[in-house]
Amino acid sequence: MTKKPLFGDTTSQAATRNPGMWINELDRNRRSGPFLSAHPMDGMGMSTKAVHAGTHDDPRTGAVGTPIYQTSTFILHEETYGSIEEGFGRDRFIYTRYGNPSQWAVQEKLATLEGAESAIVFSSGMAAITAAVMALVDKGAHVVAASDLYGGTYNLFNQEFPSLGMSATLVDSYDLEAIEAAIQPNTQILYFEVITNPVLKVVDIPALVDIAKRHNLRLIVDSTFAPPPVMKPLELGVDLVVHSASKYLNGHSDLIAGVVCGSRKLVDMVWPRLLNYGGSLDPHACFLLERGLKTLDIRMKAHEASATALATFLETHPAVENVLYPMLPSHPDHARVKELMKMGTGSVTFFVKGGDQAALALLDHLKLPKQATSLGGIESLISLPFNSSQATMTARQRAEIGIHPGCVRLSVGIEDADDLIADFDQALNAISAMKGAA
Amino acid sequence: MRNSIPTAALSEFVNEVAGDPEEGLMSYGIEIDWESGTRARTSTKPMLVGPHKISRSFTWKADEPRQLMGNNHGPNPQELLLSGLGSCMMVAFVTGATAEGIQLESVKIDFDGTLDLRGFMGLASNAPVGFPEINYTIYVTGDGTPEQFEELHKKAVKHSPNAQTIMTPVSLTGDIVTTQIEDQHR
Repeated sequence: MTKKPLFGDTTSQAATRNPGMWINELDRNRRSGPFLSAHPMDGMGMSTKAVHAGTHDDPRTGAVGTPIYQTSTFILHEETYGSIEEGFGRDRFIYTRYGNPSQWAVQEKLATLEGAESAIVFSSGMAAITAAVMALVDKGAHVVAASDLYGGTYNLFNQEFPSLGMSATLVDSYDLEAIEAAIQPNTQILYFEVITNPVLKVVDIPALVDIAKRHNLRLIVDSTFAPPPVMKPLELGVDLVVHSASKYLNGHSDLIAGVVCGSRKLVDMVWPRLLNYGGSLDPHACFLLERGLKTLDIRMKAHEASATALATFLETHPAVENVLYPMLPSHPDHARVKELMKMGTGSVTFFVKGGDQAALALLDHLKLPKQATSLGGIESLISLPFNSSQATMTARQRAEIGIHPGCVRLSVGIEDADDLIADFDQALNAISAMKGAA
Repeated sequence: MRNSIPTAALSEFVNEVAGDPEEGLMSYGIEIDWESGTRARTSTKPMLVGPHKISRSFTWKADEPRQLMGNNHGPNPQELLLSGLGSCMMVAFVTGATAEGIQLESVKIDFDGTLDLRGFMGLASNAPVGFPEINYTIYVTGDGTPEQFEELHKKAVKHSPNAQTIMTPVSLTGDIVTTQIEDQHR
C-alpha cells in the first residue's frame, strides 16, 4: 500500500530540453503503455494473464481488485499540467474522455492478452472500428475490405466514407487475387474480419499480411469472432486488431464496448480519434469488462467444449443439411484452422432441411437458446440471418455470401453440452414431425 | 501542445528513425498537366512515410502574368519555388523552437528574388538563367532571446531539405516519352 498519489504512467516523462539543441538530441523514446505500473507477464499462461494483467489493488485500502474510478475529471497537479503541452497527455489522468485508471486497467489486460504494446477501450465495437480506420486514412484515401463485412462496418464504408471524400472496394475475403487487384494508388488500408459472420470463413491472415507489406499498406482486422485464446493476429503481422468487446471478451451479454490493440505508435494515432469522436468507455463499464475478461480463457474452453459436442451432434441429425464449425474436419477451411486457430469458439452455423420456415419453427421449439442477435455470451443465442443480420439483402445476395435457406446462426454458450444436445434433439425432431404431418 | 507540435511524439519519431532508418525515408511525387497557355495543374501522388503509403489528394495551379503571355490564374513557378523553400524553412524553424522549449507567438518569412529573363530568352548576356540570389527576412515574436533565435535560424537553414536542395548542387535526370500525331492542318 502507498500514499503516493498516482498521476499516470510514471515511466512517461517529457523529453529533456537544452538551449541550442536540435531535435536529434530529444531523448524521449516510445514505450508500451500507458500502464499504471509494470506487470511483467511474459511467458505466463493465458488464464494467468486474464486474471492478473492490468488489475491493480486499491493503493489506499488494500481492497483487492481494480477500484471503479467513477469520475469525469482529475485534480490537476504539477505532474499533469505539462503533459498536454509536451504532447503526452495520454500518459496522465486529466479527464476521463482522455483516460481513466479504470480504462487503463482493462486496456493493459487486453493489450497483454493480445500481445500488444497498447490498447484503447471504446464505448462500442463500432466506436473502436471507426477510430481505428480514421486514424490510418487521409484525405482521398481508399480502403480494400471484405464483401461480407459486419453490417455496421459495411455502413461505415458505404454510408460515411463517400461523404468524407474516401472510398472502399469490397472483395471476397477468400479471393487473394481480387484483393490485390482492388488496390489503387491511393489505397491506405486493408480491412478484414479474421472469421466472417455468419458462414465462419477463416481468412488467410498471413497472406493478407504479405499483400499489405508488398503494397505499403496497413492491415486492420476485426477479431471479434477469434479472441486471444483462439488467435492473436498481431503475432501474424497485422497492424491493428479491433474487437467488439460486447461479445467473447466481456462474455456476459451485459455491456457494449470495443477495443483497438496494436503497436504504441499506431494506437497513439488512434487516441486523438477517441478524443475527437468521443467514444470513451465509462469507468463502470470498464469494471464489468475487466471482470468479464478474468474468465475469458476458461469461458472459451467451455464454449469450445459445448460447441464441439453440439456441432458434432447436429452433423449427424437427419433434419440438418450442413454444419459449419471450424474445428470439425467438414469445415472448408479446416486445414487453415489447424494452422491459425489455437482452439474453437462457440460460433456454429448450420442449415436445416426445409428452408427458412423450418428454421423459424426450430427456434420456436428450442427452450435453452435465446432468440437474440449478438454472440459470445455465457448463454446460447440463436438467430436467423435472413430476418435479422442480413434482412436487408435479397435471397440472391444472401446466397452469394453463403447464406442459403435454412441458415441458422448459433452462439453456443457455456451450458452443459448434454442439455444443449437434448434441447436441439427435441426441437429438430419436432420440426421433422411437423414436416412429416404436412 | 507547445506551438501545436507534439514534442513527445516528435522525440519518439526521431528515436524510432535513429533505430530504424527505413522509417525516415520519405518518397514524394507530383504530376503536372498542361491546361492552357502557361497554366498547368499540379496533383500530388501518394507519398511514402517510411514503408507506409498515405493518400495525398491535393491539387493547385500555376500560371504566368499576362505580361508574360499567361492569364495570371495562379502563382507562377518562381513564387511556388520560394513558397516551397520558405514553408520548409518554417517547418524547421518551428520544430526546432519547440524542441528547445521556445514558445512562439508569430513567425513571418518575407522572401524576395530578382531574376533576369534574358537567360530564359537566350539573349546574349552573362545573366544566369535562375535566381542569382534569394533574400529573406524572418520576423519572429516569442519567448526566446535574440541569440537563441539567430542560432535557431542557422539550424533551420542547415536542416531544411528544401534550403539544402537549393544551396547544394542536385542532379536532375529526366526522360521524355513522345507520341507523334498527324499535323491536323495539312
